[in-house]
Amino acid sequence: MSESILRTENLTKRFGGLTATDNLSLRFPGGRLQAVIGPNGAGKTTLFNLISGLLKPDSGRVYFRDRDITGLRPHEISRLGIKRTMQIKSVFNQISVTENLWITRQASQQFLHPFRPASRDHATRERVDQTLEQIGMTNLAHRIAGTLSYGDVAMLEIGMALISDPQLLLLDEPICGMSPAETERAVEKIRELARKVDIVIIEHDMEVVFGLSEDIIVLAQGAVLATGSPTEISSNERVREAYLGRPEDEDYLEEAVSA
Amino acid sequence: MIERVVMIIFATFLLTVPWTVPALTNPFWVSVIAEILIWSLFATSTNLLFGYVGLLSFGQALFFGFGMYGVGIGVDQLGLSFWPAFGLGIVASMAMALVAGIFAVRLTWHYFAIITVVFSLIFYFLAVSMKWLTGGDDGINFPLPPTFSFGSTQWSFADSNFQYFFILATVALCFYLMYLVIGSPLGKAFTAVRENDVRASLIGLNVYLIRLTAFVMAGFLAGVSGALFAFFGRYASATYMFYNVSGEGLVWTIVGGAGTLFGPIVGTTLFILIREIVSTHWEHHSLIVGTMAILAVIFAPKGLVGLWQDGLDRVMAPRAKQRDSAEVRSES
Repeated sequence: MSESILRTENLTKRFGGLTATDNLSLRFPGGRLQAVIGPNGAGKTTLFNLISGLLKPDSGRVYFRDRDITGLRPHEISRLGIKRTMQIKSVFNQISVTENLWITRQASQQFLHPFRPASRDHATRERVDQTLEQIGMTNLAHRIAGTLSYGDVAMLEIGMALISDPQLLLLDEPICGMSPAETERAVEKIRELARKVDIVIIEHDMEVVFGLSEDIIVLAQGAVLATGSPTEISSNERVREAYLGRPEDEDYLEEAVSA
Repeated sequence: MIERVVMIIFATFLLTVPWTVPALTNPFWVSVIAEILIWSLFATSTNLLFGYVGLLSFGQALFFGFGMYGVGIGVDQLGLSFWPAFGLGIVASMAMALVAGIFAVRLTWHYFAIITVVFSLIFYFLAVSMKWLTGGDDGINFPLPPTFSFGSTQWSFADSNFQYFFILATVALCFYLMYLVIGSPLGKAFTAVRENDVRASLIGLNVYLIRLTAFVMAGFLAGVSGALFAFFGRYASATYMFYNVSGEGLVWTIVGGAGTLFGPIVGTTLFILIREIVSTHWEHHSLIVGTMAILAVIFAPKGLVGLWQDGLDRVMAPRAKQRDSAEVRSES
């Protein structure tokens, strides 16, 4: 295995009596698009929250390129180059698409000048236009983000991750709520992105997961159930039993696809 | 276009107040307008926090009070002249804002509002009880130091025209600073924090530091207005540190338009005019204030200035399809 970009060691997080991640030791090698899957409550989003600093682990450590980032605050982790999208789409609702991208770009620069007009920053302006084009939202540039369709908000979130020049991108159900056409566009975008950036993706849409990822980690009840290539995972008996094969999960999958 | 014309008329009016107002009506209105300017600046400090950073502060009167006492104590007890006393007032309120902010901005919404009230109350009662320093209930009356003196020529607030223009210039300068800040990268970061603090932290903004910066800046605005008010009234008093003063500033801001540069001026002007005109005829004039505040909160989330801007948009661009109403509310 090549050098790992992200590594967790014995990561444990409990919410009251519930163990969300249970002594989780994972290794994400660089240069590959990896997926984390698992049934609801498997601890996928908790894992992302622990990595991005929104939650602090009860025990265990997180390493990013061999640097211990456990306990750093979200903005510090973000400035190291780990960017993420949220399962419940999270943008700045009452300002325009352009301004959303603008703020995100400027936030990745360290000093926020208090008196110079932001609009005088031509480099940022250009980068914003370029990103709008990349995510295909040029014609929505002046729309207030809160009025966008769910799929467009998700796309904007990806754009916001993009514009900050990430080194590692954590995508939490990026295509959840997208129409089939939007899904196709987003998957294409993610595949294109994966050539430049290391990506870890949480996704419920199995078609997308198996189409996109090179490695899959299956979580169940906060622990690793299986790891391997898509082919290995789809033929793994334990995964089938625990996750893919159960009738109620199939309903759930259909729901996730059509939602 | 229309906005520019309105601005020019407004500026021309303000610049000619000492002559036009006495010509039209009672000269006493000149000092009412000066007072409106000072309180507009005070409301702006609330606006910076509530309208731009999303922090509901009920404690801005504390910093107004520190501005006042900085001047009062500076002149009366330390024997300072005009500018050092002015500076003392501003520095004292910014220092107080830094100390209060370190604790307060860790919290948001109701917890933040409560801690700002608590800080305000603590220092109000301290100010009332420390008679030797603050004059207690009576406050401090102090002799007015000259603002500028060249040889035998002196300018001071005793000259009502000088007083008016000094207040106008100071308030205008502060509004210009506010204008620069809200259009700057820092101002954009304020908006980001207001809109979604979790997302703001995930894009790399230090939410705590940004809130603290805004809090100290708001302390500066409140401090300048308090210091001006001390020179204007020639006294400092704990009455102005009580949290109901903060509440008034908040109501002025909300009715005028939180999150708009000129909202606080509009709101403050409206309510001080109501107070001055109606209170001589009817003692329950605060009922009008209350009713308007409720109506604004329900029907005009961006206040009177927001209504005006929406109206302009509708008139100027009736067919602009991409334009979205300003009433989009966040879902979270």
